Amino acid sequence: MTSITSLLHPIDRKLTAGLLQGGIHKRKAEEQLFTNYAYFIQEGIKKYALEEEDAFDAYSDTVLSAIGRITDGSFESRSSLKTYLYQIFHNKCVDLLRKKATNKNSVHRTLSIKDSLFSLSDTARSVIQRLVDKSDWAVLRQKLDELGDNCRKALLLWADGYSDQEIATSIEYKTAAVAKTSRIRCLEKLRQLYKAR
Amino acid sequence: MENGIGYIEEYFKREMSAGEIRQFEQLILEDPAFAEEVAFYLSARQVAQDEGEEEKKGRFREIYRQNPPARPLRTIRRSGWYIAAAVLAALILGWYLYQRPIAPGQLANRYIEQHWQTLGVSMSSKEDSIQTGLLLYNEGKWQEALRQFENIIRSGNPGPDLKKYAGIVALRLKDYDKALVYFSQLTNYKLYANPGLFYQAITLMERNRSGDPEYAKRLLQQVVQNDLEEKETALEWLKKL
Repeated sequence: MTSITSLLHPIDRKLTAGLLQGGIHKRKAEEQLFTNYAYFIQEGIKKYALEEEDAFDAYSDTVLSAIGRITDGSFESRSSLKTYLYQIFHNKCVDLLRKKATNKNSVHRTLSIKDSLFSLSDTARSVIQRLVDKSDWAVLRQKLDELGDNCRKALLLWADGYSDQEIATSIEYKTAAVAKTSRIRCLEKLRQLYKAR
Repeated sequence: MENGIGYIEEYFKREMSAGEIRQFEQLILEDPAFAEEVAFYLSARQVAQDEGEEEKKGRFREIYRQNPPARPLRTIRRSGWYIAAAVLAALILGWYLYQRPIAPGQLANRYIEQHWQTLGVSMSSKEDSIQTGLLLYNEGKWQEALRQFENIIRSGNPGPDLKKYAGIVALRLKDYDKALVYFSQLTNYKLYANPGLFYQAITLMERNRSGDPEYAKRLLQQVVQNDLEEKETALEWLKKL
């Protein structure tokens, strides 16, 4: 990643480094990235004739998508962060105009899970895909909220790519091993709640 | 399966060997309960990720609400470029306008407007027929002023000033032939600073008949060569004509 980020503008490099660093640095970098190009929202309103709320959603999704790609290493630094973000933002705005009636979260969710499923063999993938499609997302979300603050926070940080060490620091668990055990217990608890629905 | 989630996690973190991966995928096909556990793991992670992103969006919304987006730096830079481009265009246009030949009539007109809008009147309280002519000129009564100056000229012994004034008024009245006569007569006076030749050039430039500009140019060259009155103006005009 060092050789890739070194090609970037110093400001972009600092931001990507912050995102990759995790913890409080990641949070700050996320907010900085959002702030840096928040004027895209106005462009969404003017250029794509979107409502402010829709333009905000498109831009927020853009930033989140970019953060995801930077942290998972798929951002290849072929362009500046601004250009990269603008490409995503443009696509989001166009998508939004096309699919105004659809649920964006479910579209996003399916795509994201597909990424994970790619590592499975074709036959295993189709089995898992069928089961995932049967998931009751609303209930799952509701049960997640019932878990309690620490459990919920641990799972949110885990899903956001935080390491167990970072989770430990963030929630004040003694060690990364304790954070991992707690997190897995939280996930099992969630499963029990979900099955008991 | 004991500690099933830890096992599933190892797979998606790519911490397994090739043999372990095959075993894991085979288990999905053979054990529906395990397959469900894998599907739950992925779904739970996705829901947690969605929730996390919603929270981030909430933070972003708060930032957006508290700090409305600033004007982007590049736009300011771009505006700077636009301003620079406009200044450059103005300079080029100015240079072009300065460099391009100017019509002789335009130069003459500008000089007349700048120098002969009014003519200097003596502060003396003494009644003077020349002063009367000048006052008439300054009041815009050019015909009467010319008549006044010509009466004095006819009465005999006119000085160079009278010829100059009569020539100027005739020029303002667009009686170019008469103006040329008076300025030509002015040129014949032996004066320390005689503008006669230069005034003839102005009259020719203003009249602008066939051959006038060329003749005016020759007169201006004479003004420069002989170091006469208004040499600097003549030099400037020669560059533009």
